[in-house]
Amino acid sequence: LGACRVSMSMAEIRAGFAAIKANIQSRDPVRSLSILSHPHSLHKVKSSDRCCIAHHLFTFYVDKVFRHCRTEDSFVNRKISSIANSFLSARRKLGQCREQNNCVCGEESTEKFKQILANYEGLNVTSAAMKSLGELDILLDWMEKSR
Amino acid sequence: GDAFLPAPQSISILSTNMKHFLTWSPVIVQGATVRYSVEFQGEYEREYANGSWVPISECSLTTATVCNITEDISATVAYKLRVRAQLGTTRSQWGTTKGFFNRAMTSLTPPLLMVVADGHHLLVELADMGPSFQFRVLYWKKGQESRVQQKVLKEVSSVLHLDTMEAGAEYCVKAQAHVEAINRSSSFSPTQCVRAQGDKSMWL
Repeated sequence: LGACRVSMSMAEIRAGFAAIKANIQSRDPVRSLSILSHPHSLHKVKSSDRCCIAHHLFTFYVDKVFRHCRTEDSFVNRKISSIANSFLSARRKLGQCREQNNCVCGEESTEKFKQILANYEGLNVTSAAMKSLGELDILLDWMEKSR
Repeated sequence: GDAFLPAPQSISILSTNMKHFLTWSPVIVQGATVRYSVEFQGEYEREYANGSWVPISECSLTTATVCNITEDISATVAYKLRVRAQLGTTRSQWGTTKGFFNRAMTSLTPPLLMVVADGHHLLVELADMGPSFQFRVLYWKKGQESRVQQKVLKEVSSVLHLDTMEAGAEYCVKAQAHVEAINRSSSFSPTQCVRAQGDKSMWL
């Protein structure tokens, strides 16, 4: 991710998400909207900005998304916990890397992240959280492509 | 009044090769079957979800005194586990693990391997240790310990071809397991040596 090489168990996160993706996406009634990809895809972020925006996105998921995704399904809750704790671990490493490499967010990616927050705030919190969680593979794909 | 049920004691985690088990001592009530329920709490739950606990359904109202928590301990952060006893409608207090458990603490054993000389071919077969594991295989011609070669396996395939050996020469192999998720390796397996088939060419 730009200057940052963070080892995270992508396979484990993907496996956890794959196990609940259909369940989570079925809870998202508004399929025409996207939190992460509207209006521009993550793939347009410059490589020098990737480390910073990845850290922002992990913070976004840890602080705002996972806590509003509790369901009545014990299996789903366990997988969300697994993903959340993996994100917490990865965010810590990303944060350390950002400091060491002084990764700063450029104007473009700051704008991109603001747009993501605006998309999120535009929905009621549970719908926004479920939609964001349902789009996790968009984030994971972007991170793997950024390697 | 409700009978008193003591909390489970001697709660501990046994973790080897990224397989994690919670165990506890049974709560003995004469002539009755006591059941147990297990919950876990990751760093995320402590820091961002009001210290909430997540039940493990496979270990809810179980009569066993062991619970496979591998699937739930799936991030490299500090976890806490707790278990309580239940008899009918009477529930004990929770018994909680002392300190935290991080999967980075798992004990790693050297891989099991079988080295085969198939004619002039040096082959090795490694026992599968699970999805988290990679292997580093070192091999050398006996007497040339300074010229060790290495192969890294990201996944266990059936048999790995290491080298084509010189006729009649002896080759040695050892291996260690590596877990990327916790960035740790096991110690090396014992070295195994095999001798290549002698040369069959006939002098005329």
